[in-house]
Amino acid sequence: MIEVEGLTKLYDRFVAVEGLSFAVRPGEVVGLVGPNGAGKTSTLRCLAGIIPATRGSIRICGHDIAADPVEAKRCLAFFADEPRLFDYLTVDQHLAFTARVYQVANYRELAAPLLAELEMTDKARSLPGELSRGMKQKLAIACGLLHSPRVIFFDEPLTGLDPIGIRRMKDTIRRRAAEGAAILISSHLLHLLEEICSHVLIVQNGRKVVDGTLDEVVRQFAGQAGELNLEEVFFRATAQPAPPPPPPP
Amino acid sequence: MIRALVYLQVITWWNRLLSQVRRLKRPKYLAGFMVGALYFFLYFIRPISMGGRAGARAHALPPEFVGAGEAFGAALLLLIVAAAWIIPNSRAALSFSEAEAIFLFAAPVRRSTLIHFKLIRSQAGILFTTLLMAFLSNRFGSSGNAWIHLAGWWLILSTLNLHFLGASFARARLFELGIGNSRRRWLGAGVILVVGVVAWWWFEKSMPTLTRPEAGELKGWIRYARRFLEAEPMAIVLAPFRWVIRPYLASSVATFLLALGPAVLLLAVHFIWVFRSDVAFEEASLELAQRRAERLAVLRREPGQMRTGRARPAPFVLRPTGLPAVAFLWKNLISAGALFTGRMWIVLALSFGIPTLLIGLNAERDEIAVLLAMVLIMAFIWSILLGPQLLRQDFRHDIRSTELLKLYPLPGWQVVLGELLAPTAILSAIQWTIITLLIILFSRMPGGFDVAWPERLSVGLAAIFLCPAVNFISLLIPNAGVLLFPAWLQSGPGSPHGIEATGQRLIFLLGQVFVFALALLPAVAFGLGTYFFLNLLLPWLVVVPLAGLSGAVVLGIEVCVGVVLLGRLFERLDASAELRG
Repeated sequence: MIEVEGLTKLYDRFVAVEGLSFAVRPGEVVGLVGPNGAGKTSTLRCLAGIIPATRGSIRICGHDIAADPVEAKRCLAFFADEPRLFDYLTVDQHLAFTARVYQVANYRELAAPLLAELEMTDKARSLPGELSRGMKQKLAIACGLLHSPRVIFFDEPLTGLDPIGIRRMKDTIRRRAAEGAAILISSHLLHLLEEICSHVLIVQNGRKVVDGTLDEVVRQFAGQAGELNLEEVFFRATAQPAPPPPPPP
Repeated sequence: MIRALVYLQVITWWNRLLSQVRRLKRPKYLAGFMVGALYFFLYFIRPISMGGRAGARAHALPPEFVGAGEAFGAALLLLIVAAAWIIPNSRAALSFSEAEAIFLFAAPVRRSTLIHFKLIRSQAGILFTTLLMAFLSNRFGSSGNAWIHLAGWWLILSTLNLHFLGASFARARLFELGIGNSRRRWLGAGVILVVGVVAWWWFEKSMPTLTRPEAGELKGWIRYARRFLEAEPMAIVLAPFRWVIRPYLASSVATFLLALGPAVLLLAVHFIWVFRSDVAFEEASLELAQRRAERLAVLRREPGQMRTGRARPAPFVLRPTGLPAVAFLWKNLISAGALFTGRMWIVLALSFGIPTLLIGLNAERDEIAVLLAMVLIMAFIWSILLGPQLLRQDFRHDIRSTELLKLYPLPGWQVVLGELLAPTAILSAIQWTIITLLIILFSRMPGGFDVAWPERLSVGLAAIFLCPAVNFISLLIPNAGVLLFPAWLQSGPGSPHGIEATGQRLIFLLGQVFVFALALLPAVAFGLGTYFFLNLLLPWLVVVPLAGLSGAVVLGIEVCVGVVLLGRLFERLDASAELRG
């Protein structure tokens, strides 16, 4: 579903991503992890076709994003850390606009349950400026899911959500994966990734450090240390010193 | 503590200057800086170095206007000050950024120190405006005495600044005493009205009234107004305002020094008034800072959007299937808001269309019809020249949403076409309305000979064919600029400022004019060719619309080529790299 081969992204002479290769199959949820500046957002933006890759190939649902961007984009959705919305369109108008752009003929049938699922039915005539940050995030999600994407990219999906929103977001991700979507999530919330991801991809300085299923990655770094969690794996994989444990109260 | 605050301000300015200097390493900023510097030199510095007095004499106002300066200037100041007491409805607030408000209000800083800091900081803006106004007044005024002008402007602006601050504190105090906004406004407006009526009645009783010959010319009215302002009781009312303005109008160092005393005294009184006001402004200042930060965030995402306001009705029902470009037209017409609602066009039709029709069809009102037609022709020309600059519901508006636009599964040409449709539609609708009104009204040339209905229809039809294509071409050019150099054409807060930004805009404006002229050439040539060829076969009245149509076809082909090329440009656009700095 997502096939990445030798992805490299340069900004002038600065190397953001270098020779990254991995694949995400239908039903897999991959957690993209790395320290700040590791190239996670640049990777996601290249995969979504927002910015061009400098080198390498990206195939989404079998379509090369550089050669056939329209078909590749038709089957993907990208959710940025900051919801991207038009300030002068209401919730309803956002959905109508998105439906026309993605040619979703039956969008009215799809939009109603989607708004209900995201608890936004009563906000249909609200402008983004009248919505809380969490609500804006939900609107961006409703727009992104309207065309039933088979590939979904999340960049810090839980930022600004309340506990109920977080629970619903996790359910949405699991359900979409169960329905056969390939999902890539970039987040610093390692416990979230442990909960919902089947695989993990750790990057540092634009390069892949390790990838595989959660069990594989944990086994690789556990060594003699017994059971490890993703946080410990992250510190070992990126060779970062783990912060000392908090003093007893 | 004040030293820490001054340090904060100075270091902010210094860092801003350093970042501007560092930007000059990039060729586009350097080119912009050079052109901008040349512009400032030619416009401001050179006239002074070549003898500002010569330049000033060329633009000198008539002595009557200069003599009336003090009276009219004082009256203007009175109106500005009255407005500061009557119009505002917000609470007293000192303007701080959100970060400053959070840092400073939580810090152990006295309220008076914050006022002090605010006053010191406002001096930067006042000094800059002073310099600018002195440059302008030296260029346009009757005297080249720059230092007197500088000091004069500084006194006027500083006194006004203190008065605005004091008035805002006084409004807050009145509010605490139970005098709300509406009561204050009625009271203020009432006082102004009573003073005005009494002064005018007094004046009419004691002074010669407006004579019939005076009433027939502008100068007569000016003389009458001056007499009114200089006679009692207005002379007493305006006295403090005259003190403020007098140093600026001084013609020599001696008269300036003489005028300086009362002005400085008034400034000192204002300073004491503001400094001794003990009004809680923190909450309102924080609110103001937050509102400003939100507005800034909106403007950064959507340049041109001052506020989100309330939901706007859709101009038409958008079906979920069909040409995706139409979705952008629909979206951008919503963003245009009041400019494209059916209600607005009905109101316009009722308020302009029907009276125009009545005037146009009534032969007795011939003179009015010709006058209105001339006004409409001017409006039409301005719509062609300025319309594409003012209507920016296209990439200039959406460039900050590039990430979202690039996510859509659309070929680039569809996005470009969609983005350009809304301003073209709005502009064409405005121009077609003007042309329709002109067909009705333009019955006679100013020279005297009549223009018959068929002739008006023939030329009008040609213009109707040409307008959308011309608009599309003229909108393609700035949009191509946005896609080629996104960082050059950012508008709103966060956009580049300073000499280099001015230079960049100048370069771009000249480029636009050149490309527009170049794009029109083939259409003009083809249209003229069609006209001369068909004129041999068909009557003139038929040939003109056909020539217009052929020109529009050529422009249409150019538009198609332009949209495809811009589409490719959009597909290749790496906004992350362009908008990074």
